[in-house]
Amino acid sequence: MNSPASDDPVGGESSEYEENLEILRQIDFFSGFPLESLKVFAYLGSRRRFRAGEFLFEQGEEDASAFAVIGGRLRLERQSDGPPQTIRFYGPGDFIGGLSLLCECRRLYSLRAEERTVCFVLDQEKFAKALEQFPAQIPRLLQTVVQSIIRWEEDFLTEMTEACGRCLPRLGVSLL
Amino acid sequence: MPHARRIPVVKRSLGSWILDGNLPWQGLLLAVIGLFIATRVLPLEMQKRIVNEAIGRREVDLLLVYCGTYLAAVVLASACKYGIQVIETLIAQRTLARMRRALLEHALRLPLSFFRENPPGSVVNAVVNELAVPSNFVGAAVSTPLSNLLTLLAFAGYLLWLNPLLAVISLATYPLAMIVLPLLQRGANRANQKRVDLSRTFAGRIAEAFTGIHEIHGHAAFGVEQKRFEDLIERLRKVRIVWGLFRYGVKSANNFFTSLGPFVVFLLGGWLTIRGQLELGALVAFLSAQEKLYDPWKELIEFYQVYQDGKVTYRRTMEFFDVEAPVAAAPPDRPPLQLDGRLEVRHLDFLTETGLRLLQDIRLSLRPGEHLALVGFSGSGKSTLALCLAQLHAVAEGRIFLGGHDIARLSKRDIAANLGLVSQHPFLFEGTLRDNLLYACEALEAAAPRPSLDDVIAVLHQTGLFADVLQFGLNTPLDPRRHAAIGPGLIRVRRKFQEKYGARFAEVVEFFDASAYLEHSSIAENLLFGTAQRPEFEPARLAANDWMLDFLNREGLLHRLVNIGIRLARQTVDILGNLPAERVFFAQSPMSPEELPRFRRTLERLRRRSPEEPPSREETLALLELALRFTPGVHKTLELGEELRGRLLTARANLRRALAAEQPQAVAFHDAEAVLPFQPILKNILFGNTPPAPPKVQEEMLQTVIQLLIEKDLLEAIVGIGLEANVGSHGEKLSGGQQQKLAIARVLLKSPRILILDEATSALDNRSQARIQNLLETRWKGRCTVVAVVHRLDIVRHYDRIAVMKAGKIVEIGSWQELMERKGALYELAGKR
Repeated sequence: MNSPASDDPVGGESSEYEENLEILRQIDFFSGFPLESLKVFAYLGSRRRFRAGEFLFEQGEEDASAFAVIGGRLRLERQSDGPPQTIRFYGPGDFIGGLSLLCECRRLYSLRAEERTVCFVLDQEKFAKALEQFPAQIPRLLQTVVQSIIRWEEDFLTEMTEACGRCLPRLGVSLL
Repeated sequence: MPHARRIPVVKRSLGSWILDGNLPWQGLLLAVIGLFIATRVLPLEMQKRIVNEAIGRREVDLLLVYCGTYLAAVVLASACKYGIQVIETLIAQRTLARMRRALLEHALRLPLSFFRENPPGSVVNAVVNELAVPSNFVGAAVSTPLSNLLTLLAFAGYLLWLNPLLAVISLATYPLAMIVLPLLQRGANRANQKRVDLSRTFAGRIAEAFTGIHEIHGHAAFGVEQKRFEDLIERLRKVRIVWGLFRYGVKSANNFFTSLGPFVVFLLGGWLTIRGQLELGALVAFLSAQEKLYDPWKELIEFYQVYQDGKVTYRRTMEFFDVEAPVAAAPPDRPPLQLDGRLEVRHLDFLTETGLRLLQDIRLSLRPGEHLALVGFSGSGKSTLALCLAQLHAVAEGRIFLGGHDIARLSKRDIAANLGLVSQHPFLFEGTLRDNLLYACEALEAAAPRPSLDDVIAVLHQTGLFADVLQFGLNTPLDPRRHAAIGPGLIRVRRKFQEKYGARFAEVVEFFDASAYLEHSSIAENLLFGTAQRPEFEPARLAANDWMLDFLNREGLLHRLVNIGIRLARQTVDILGNLPAERVFFAQSPMSPEELPRFRRTLERLRRRSPEEPPSREETLALLELALRFTPGVHKTLELGEELRGRLLTARANLRRALAAEQPQAVAFHDAEAVLPFQPILKNILFGNTPPAPPKVQEEMLQTVIQLLIEKDLLEAIVGIGLEANVGSHGEKLSGGQQQKLAIARVLLKSPRILILDEATSALDNRSQARIQNLLETRWKGRCTVVAVVHRLDIVRHYDRIAVMKAGKIVEIGSWQELMERKGALYELAGKR
């Protein structure tokens, strides 16, 4: 922070809050926010530890938290009829659930810790409360969200169109 | 008081209280009054003799004798007056207590309709305030008129004896007063009558407003309420002024009449004395006797006012309560009946006071142990029927039979001994969980055995209240004296928990360890490592403790902690400085929103000052206090380095030594082999902090603790402590679900033969509701007749019969199977059509 290390009364390394702030600054979703609001998000978020096998959220659950992985490994699954299918894995530096900060909605996937995992967790209620204090940032936030949806579909179209086959008629999430 | 008992209190005259129960006291009063009169007349005679005999004949011996007698009479008169007032007060207070007792006894038994019409506040006002005036009258009813009349007569007689002509003329003003004063008093009475009624309405309105205070706050309806009060306050003001004007009118008129007396005596007496027809001593005695007439007369007039006010207030109060209780409270000459569980309703109609027909031609017949569900749309009369069955509503037409007896002829206690009612919004009384649980049983007194702790625990299990009570017990602070018996057991559980499960729950419990820094305790708590036994050593007050400041200074920590305070203040102001004072923002902050502006100013001053200039003492203490609150596990803006943790741990050890030497008994240090005084029992067991953890893990830990408590035979003791938890006014400290479970439990404890449930499980979650339903089916079917008003159709399937109500009538009745096959009203209600 602003005090030089020489008169540091605590003698510690960087605090959890400072680390949280650093993590948030690396995440695209928060890129439009000024430092003043990031500080509040970093302050309101909490660090949580998950045991191997523990669910962060489960498919069908109403939940509204976003997770930034600090250490460990997470598995994203979806279950239709048969056994759960693994969609992908997340590791340190990944951010999951930005959209759920905007509203509490039903989870389409399950997220589970593969090993002991530490995450920075921000829940929708606190995020919304804080966002109320920075109303000028809302248009920027929406822009970021829309851009990331378009980017996602663009990437999908570039990489997957040929393999897609029958799902072609369902494309166009960026047209919503 | 056999005589008084037979007449209901509201029919008794005010006069009936005077002798009733007060006879010995009133007798004693008479004796004292006799003595009092003598002591008041004697000085007059002495006066005359002093002037005529002692002074006239210049005899000092006689002067001394007469003056001595005079003094003795005056002393005795004062003593008698005091004695009279003491006895009057005794009688008044005894009467007030008896009036209150009798009136409350009567009021509690009045039908519910009375309380619907009259708000509780007006009842409170009548019992608490208004009875004081009539009881004061009762206290004075014998003594004041008697003593003052006798005094008056004695003085008047003495005056007549001295000089009949002078006496008659000077006394002539009194009859005049007796004509004028009652006229004025009549005006005062009318105003007083209005005042009593208005006060009652006013008290009722106030009580109503404060009962609904959450609505007022919710709608910010302060102005509306104020306006409603305004009119009453204004009317009350006016009527009290009128009342006062008349009352003081009586006093002033009286003063005028009595002061006419001396005028006549001076004029006529002076003339007679000049002419030598009256001795000077006699004139002095006459004048002083004349003056003395004033006091008893004044008291008589005041008593007359007390009597009139008391009469009006008493009549108004008793008229207010003069409603007959429809059924007797208890059978007069036999124990309560033991009824079987038969229930029969014949052609029952129920009308509201305004004549609205809520129930029409209800016919029902239930065998003992049969279970009936009442379903239907809201407003169909289900709850009304349930309340009629419980004898809470008087029925208009038709009859209800319990165990073959017409309930209109049964006393309340007959009903209570056999029937249990759980209403939708049960009422809990201020007191402990145990008081509320035993409420129904205690009400039956000898008619039912008092349940044992085992019975209570069994019912707690059945209703699903056990875990709640246990939780209350575990959260109760351990009082080393009251809970001394469980101390050693708790220590054993603590040891076992640490040995066997310490590693497993390492994440959810931060065990107290004298050699480790506690992440979930503040710096102050880390230094103390114990419970303060003296207020100045409470963690929150350490910064204001000079001894502690001195210690921190010696340890070289004071300056460092103040710097930590500065840093915390700076960060908090930086992050939260522009946010509103809401809990969500400040929950993880060591600073409250109210303190923030002060710290902002302190930081501002520090910034402007040169680095050498230290902060003021006041600023230092505030910053130190902030630093001492810092808890690494909660406040995430700082990371305490290893070196500082080491320093704080050393200080902890040094503090312990210093306290032992200089301030013994200031702190009870955490000791694995001793209880933590005034800390929650759970904390005593865990011997550590419980940081926030996922509910699943917490539940697992709690189950482990319960298991250990069972092993060490402590569970019942903790539940016993939990039962002593106070539920708060209206049971506010319990959740809605807990309140309902408690209401069900208190009725089940008296094992009624008939159970009326009026949406008794509406506030329960699905699991608790299923548990109660299961209880009814397994334990109560066949043993207890049940009539349940049910909103949710998914729980009525297993009732023997279901009655569907519509617009005050039962439209169909039968088992679930039958009614669904019939495809009638239930089928429709279930949404199948």
